[in-house]
Amino acid sequence: MPKSVLDAHRLIGPVPFDDLPRDPGREMDRLGIHHACVTHTLSLYSDVHAGNEALLGLRDPRLVPVPVLLPEAFAPAQDWDVPMVRLCPARHRYELTGPTALRRLADLGAVAAIELDETSPAELVTLTRRLPELRVLLLSPGYRRLRAIGELMAEIPNLWLEIGTVNTQRGVEWLAAHYGAERLVFGTGAPVMDDCGPRFLLDHLELPEADIDLIASGGSLLGQGVLR
Amino acid sequence: MILDAHGHLGSWPDFLIPDPSAAGMVSLMDRLGIDAIGISHLLAVGPDAEEGNRLAFAAAGRHPGRIGVWQVYNPHQRNRLTGSGVWGVKIHPDVHECRLDDRRYDPVWELGLPVLAHGQTGSPWSDPAQFVTVAGRHPHVPLLLGHAGLWPNGFARAAELAGPYPNLFLEICGSKMTGRWIARLAELIGADRVIYGSDACFLDLRVGFGRVALAPLTDADRTLVQGANLARLLPPDQPAGPARSPEP
Repeated sequence: MPKSVLDAHRLIGPVPFDDLPRDPGREMDRLGIHHACVTHTLSLYSDVHAGNEALLGLRDPRLVPVPVLLPEAFAPAQDWDVPMVRLCPARHRYELTGPTALRRLADLGAVAAIELDETSPAELVTLTRRLPELRVLLLSPGYRRLRAIGELMAEIPNLWLEIGTVNTQRGVEWLAAHYGAERLVFGTGAPVMDDCGPRFLLDHLELPEADIDLIASGGSLLGQGVLR
Repeated sequence: MILDAHGHLGSWPDFLIPDPSAAGMVSLMDRLGIDAIGISHLLAVGPDAEEGNRLAFAAAGRHPGRIGVWQVYNPHQRNRLTGSGVWGVKIHPDVHECRLDDRRYDPVWELGLPVLAHGQTGSPWSDPAQFVTVAGRHPHVPLLLGHAGLWPNGFARAAELAGPYPNLFLEICGSKMTGRWIARLAELIGADRVIYGSDACFLDLRVGFGRVALAPLTDADRTLVQGANLARLLPPDQPAGPARSPEP
């Protein structure tokens, strides 16, 4: 059992297509998840700014706010003091590698969390070549694109992987063997995605205990108290 | 007894499966306490049912009592089926591009063994409504609606459609399934109609098993889902079947 579990990918708030728990606290308690990086659902399914405002007003010490960055050239830059921001270039219809997004990301200096379905491997390569200091956490990479993921992990040293959807037989161990356990980060995408299976997997990975502890606490990206 | 209703061995073309082996499967089963898994070989689901089934039987022979066989029937290849020594028949209407309710699958139903079929909400080949048609035609054939329809927006409908057909069961593996939805399905249709499967090695055995292990179910319902329901359905000549698995 890992000593401390951080879910690097979780939502808070209502969704339009299901009746899901709005507050993650109860399920986190039940599953032994001590901290979570959370994004507000309003930022995904309604108004980005309203969601960020609600998120940044949270005062739960277990929840680390991950606001959604909306790089609008006509709006002032955000001056958040946060360790990680989330970007949804497909959902919010902007260019991830456009000049405004690049400028805002460089100015913030935060980790950029992006779902694979919101971008493409080629775009991620371009982004990280333009901003070589940028640290990227790839959310929900899935299990069907391990070949492309492997190429990205080899090509981009500042890329980390959220493992909640790495769901093919011994896929997490395969990634750890090829690219290092320290680049893997526990996360779930709950409550839209499942948290029970990934949480169970974390306890049953066939990796050294120190590696499991590191993955559970956010890998070398977010571990060792970086977020707290 | 913990039984996994939905397993595979072998590779699949459009993505990498790091460990497609029977030995790897059984070592994970040992670790998790899973008594047996029913598998179809992915070669049989894909282009060669006869050879893939042969590989499945060979794996079962190497791991007696731990690996059961869902023999694949391909309606285009019209491969041989056996009436004994198997958990039942696996069909995949979407891969075969043949509707579940197509008469070309009649040899499957005529065997009278349990049938595990891929189910996918909205699919022209395997929408849950077609399971209702087939379950009504063959009320004595236990039919597992694979993935409970696969997509979350169809889970409740699958439960509603299956409800009136006591020979129709919701099998719950899939990358979009959640522990929350498993508990909901047990509430909607009854825990005695929900059956655990993992889709390993296509998916990771630990994720599928863990989803049920940590789902917000009562212990009694979890026991039903994890194996007691399936044990009632399997042929008596199977080690995991009712002859070895008294009612809990």
